[in-house]
Amino acid sequence: MLWKEKYKIGIPTIDQQHEELFSRVADFVQAIRQDGRWEEKIEKVKETMVFLQEYVVTHFNYEEKYQQTLGYPDFEEHHAIHEAFKADIQSMAQEFAAAGYHEEAVQKLAGRLLAWLINHVVASDQKMAQYVTEQGLERI
Amino acid sequence: MKAEYVNPVFKAVTEVFKAMLDIEVSRGTMGAIAGGKQEVDIQINVIGDVAGSILFQFPQDTTLNIVQIMSGMEIKELDSFVTSAMGEISNIISGNAASYLAKTNYHCDIMPPKIAVTNAAVAPQFAQETLNIPLHTNIGDMNIYISLNEMK
Repeated sequence: MLWKEKYKIGIPTIDQQHEELFSRVADFVQAIRQDGRWEEKIEKVKETMVFLQEYVVTHFNYEEKYQQTLGYPDFEEHHAIHEAFKADIQSMAQEFAAAGYHEEAVQKLAGRLLAWLINHVVASDQKMAQYVTEQGLERI
Repeated sequence: MKAEYVNPVFKAVTEVFKAMLDIEVSRGTMGAIAGGKQEVDIQINVIGDVAGSILFQFPQDTTLNIVQIMSGMEIKELDSFVTSAMGEISNIISGNAASYLAKTNYHCDIMPPKIAVTNAAVAPQFAQETLNIPLHTNIGDMNIYISLNEMK
């Protein structure tokens, strides 16, 4: 299981979204690393790329709206990290489709995605949660 | 080399390992690092007010343990998934180090990680002065080489 209780930042809706993201990334990592022919795993890769492009946008939008409501001082920095990630995923989805979902490229994305996601939740999002606590703001 | 360049890197490593892996990092001892025949070398070039390179050397066992903690899966070899995850961790550490440097008014950017799997721990041959920081954790040792110079 990829998700750990310690990743919770104490903002219920965002925690639920993170848990869903981790669950889908865990399924993806497990699917592409299990034994079997690569051709049989490509459907899962395509499905995950679609999910990432849709759900990540929904989640990032929610987080950013919440931050704007809070008047979060690091909003711009957080927004820039989100934008860079979205652009990365989009360009990778296009590259994969053009190159026929080559296994090595997909494995590289999965490794990077895993580390990126954990860091983003334990660092950037925890920083936002800390601000909420310090300012005594509402956790929604 | 100025401590102002070295301390941010050490601070970033200890914080990232604690936050992402729940692992404490301490200074290790000089000499060959144990932990498997192969190792993952990740070089991050730095440009700006401070320029040069940071090289992370992760022995095989340390690497497998790190990725196992992150993925919750058994990891047996240094494949593309594993080395790419290590590249991202090194990228995160270097990015945080660059942010700490910016707070002391040294503004720099980091380049994408260059990842290699090598068969033996060899000290890098950087053109500039290089400082080696051996590090120890309870899941294995690692080495960081820092070669940074002021360009202002």
